[in-house]
Amino acid sequence: MAEIIFIGLSLASILLLVALGLAITYGAMGVINMAHGELVMLGAYTAVLAIRYLHVPFVLCMPLAFLVSGAIGYATERLLVRHLYGRLIDTLLATWGLSYILIQLVRVDFGLAFLGINIPGLGPGLQYVPIPAYLTQPVMIGGFHFQIYRSFIILVALLLLLLTWWLIFRTSYGMQLRAVSANRNMAACCGINDRRVNAWTFAYGSGLAGVAGVLLAGLQTVDPDMGTHLVIDGFLVVVVGGVGSILGAIASSAVLGEINGLVALWWNDTVARAAVFALVIAIIIVRPRGLFALQGR
Amino acid sequence: MTPRVATVVGSVLLIALALVLPALVGALWLNRVAQFMTYGILGVAMAIAWGYAGILNLGQGLYFGIGAYMLAMSLKLAAPGSLEGGTPMPIPDFMLWNAAPGAPQDLCCITPGSFLWIPFQREWFGVLMGLVVPAVVALGIGYTMFRARVSGVYVAIITLALALLARLVLINAQPVTNGFNGLTSLSFFTVGGIEFNPYQPRTYYLVVLVLALSLVLAQWLVSSRAGLILQAIRDDENRTRYLGYNVASYQVFFFVVSAVLAGAAGMLYVVTAQFASPTFLDVAFSLSMVVWAAVGGRNSVIGAALGAIGLSVLSSAASETPALLNAWQLLLGAIFIVAVLFLPRGLAGAFNDLLRRRAGPDAREDVVPALPASGARPTMTGP
Amino acid sequence: MDSVLAVQGLTVEFSGFKAVDGLDLDVAKGEIRVVIGANGAGKTTLMDAISGKAPASQGRILFNSADITNWPEHRIARAGVGRKFQIPSIFKNLSVRQNYRVALSQEPGVLRNVFRRPRDTARIAEVLDLVGLAGSADEPAGNLSHGQTQWMELGMVLVQDPALILLDEPTAGMTVAETSRTADIINRLHGRHTLLVVEHDMAFVRSICRTITVMHMGRKLAEGPVEEIEHDPAVREAYLGSGGIGHA
Repeated sequence: MAEIIFIGLSLASILLLVALGLAITYGAMGVINMAHGELVMLGAYTAVLAIRYLHVPFVLCMPLAFLVSGAIGYATERLLVRHLYGRLIDTLLATWGLSYILIQLVRVDFGLAFLGINIPGLGPGLQYVPIPAYLTQPVMIGGFHFQIYRSFIILVALLLLLLTWWLIFRTSYGMQLRAVSANRNMAACCGINDRRVNAWTFAYGSGLAGVAGVLLAGLQTVDPDMGTHLVIDGFLVVVVGGVGSILGAIASSAVLGEINGLVALWWNDTVARAAVFALVIAIIIVRPRGLFALQGR
Repeated sequence: MTPRVATVVGSVLLIALALVLPALVGALWLNRVAQFMTYGILGVAMAIAWGYAGILNLGQGLYFGIGAYMLAMSLKLAAPGSLEGGTPMPIPDFMLWNAAPGAPQDLCCITPGSFLWIPFQREWFGVLMGLVVPAVVALGIGYTMFRARVSGVYVAIITLALALLARLVLINAQPVTNGFNGLTSLSFFTVGGIEFNPYQPRTYYLVVLVLALSLVLAQWLVSSRAGLILQAIRDDENRTRYLGYNVASYQVFFFVVSAVLAGAAGMLYVVTAQFASPTFLDVAFSLSMVVWAAVGGRNSVIGAALGAIGLSVLSSAASETPALLNAWQLLLGAIFIVAVLFLPRGLAGAFNDLLRRRAGPDAREDVVPALPASGARPTMTGP
Repeated sequence: MDSVLAVQGLTVEFSGFKAVDGLDLDVAKGEIRVVIGANGAGKTTLMDAISGKAPASQGRILFNSADITNWPEHRIARAGVGRKFQIPSIFKNLSVRQNYRVALSQEPGVLRNVFRRPRDTARIAEVLDLVGLAGSADEPAGNLSHGQTQWMELGMVLVQDPALILLDEPTAGMTVAETSRTADIINRLHGRHTLLVVEHDMAFVRSICRTITVMHMGRKLAEGPVEEIEHDPAVREAYLGSGGIGHA
């Protein structure tokens, strides 16, 4: 029983890590970033390359990936997203185009493959990230097998959640963010530099994706296509949770993660995913605003 | 030249080109072009749903896939390979391989769910289901969504999730659908004794015919009064409702038409490519349909069709080498972004705008227009 | 009396707050009646109640002797009550002419309309002339100026030939020239149609009607000819302001 809960929690925490950044950009800025999965993927590749060439310890890859993905997110906002405010579906489409580009860039070693140069660690093949030993030893607590790495993920997810909460509700930046997301024009009239707030928010959400990427790299193989299904999952979580609600994102990743885990235990992974999709469709139809929708958006 | 004239001229040129093509290229390329033309039908479907109805269907592949599988099932049963097991009735080879030892060699119960295949022994049933099942599914999901007034983004998500859901179900139902492998080793499509070998010109002409018919049908539909109201709904749903129209019924109707067209495209694809696979329900495929419509011009039936065919031809040409393919994908991503940012009505729309501008500046009145002279018409004043 | 619209003891209540409180109103056939009042007096709510957008908690609304109180909106619209909203909402991507074709919603069913071509009717041509947009009939409606958009939308209501027309601040945002043109258009409508107009611009009001109804806090404060109302002390205090038009 405890194992079922644990696995569900583990899946939920991974979902949450991916969905959190999405929830922030969608809820606060009204932007659907379909390239979010690629930001996760790039975080994973950051870990691959950093460990391979710079011998950065695994745990330090997380802040590094945060910076890398965050920077890419910042650039995305300034160059692309900024032209599309108010055009929700267009942000979905344009960022999807961007995700094409990002995937292909990794495939061709950022262009070097055209010149015949192949960099180990990039390219279309699979990559692996070795996890440090202290994170792989199984631990027994009360007759129950704890997988340390999965617990680590849950821990990181919680920490990032706390960090996000603190940022949004306890800093002046967060206040500005809430003002801009409630009423952009008024906020600008009050002297808040809404464009800067947007750029930094997008960067933060992307940075979170980067961290998720590092953690995922320890769980699965890394390849250029790993991000595609993540962004869809993440997006479903956000929509079910309710646009603009972080609490909703938490609740829905917990629910969906748990259900995924349960069904996978009884049948198989494929059926589990199908069940989650079916559930999401039903929820959106019955309660289009999601489980915890905030008013006003 | 006005946009309308351009459409007609373009269509005529295209049809002329399509008709003489068999004399110009070999059987292999002809078959490929035929496949791309089925994509053209998908472009038409997207134009109706997205361009005119304003419904972004991110899972159009679902209906394509359903149509494909329906016909493929019939063609599989008709294939000589299905009788090789020595069974009295045709049984798909994968079922024989998947069957539990000692299972009855009968289509009704050789594997769980195999009875679903029974009616497909008649080819017309497969064709019929290829049109009816997408319609029914679209009717169900469309009615549910539009009645509940689900808005644009959520429609996109639901259609996407539905396609992915169907894909998973398809893959998981291995005993019935052959899972990942899809349906292969199919017989040729046969109508009234005429066999449609994928590499023969007659198959190509069949596709051209259906494409032409769907272009005509789509154009007729969108230029009808219903099509006008549909565009009004796309512009302002509430206002249209307020004028007394049942908005949901219009959305459902055109959504279903779009799905049926996609189903027909799927069937034709099976005729030309001789297989049906769960990859038809991949996100990537559905998304590429959106890209075709966005680049070609979602508001133009012919533009979307040409976008589909043109981009597919280019993709196919680019897949000669991996490097070229990657470069093409990069370029495609960039083109897509450009289209979304700057060309909301695609290349067709930009072309039309150019034509309009060359037709001369409009005598538009920016000043307050004068009312007719004092002799007001008798109908305006009261009794 | 030949009254097209009769409001009897109408009360519209929202969570305890009475936006309209026991209002009586009679509008004769072919009349142009203007309702004025300060913001929050209940004028728009009155219109909402008549057109079916807001539910009436008490009282009745009679349209040509039929009791239309609390009918659904589209049914009221079909009965012959047309409403032009304050904020113009038109189909920006369609041409003016196409907007009017859509507005002619006599047969709304989708299956029937699949087999019909969009067609102009004499009525559309009439209305285009009336609102002065015959020259811009094929322009995308989104290209019109603000004033033109207001007239266009008025036309959308007229195309359906409603017996009663509700106009909510038809000159909002218009220039002086546009306002006077609007007055011209409205003056040509009375007789064939009956109009109920909510307005603020007194000069405009003077140019279009004879009888004004003044609302204040949900109730009828005064009613009568324009000159009388303008000099009524209670009205001046409540609405025009006692320091208003030079009265002690």
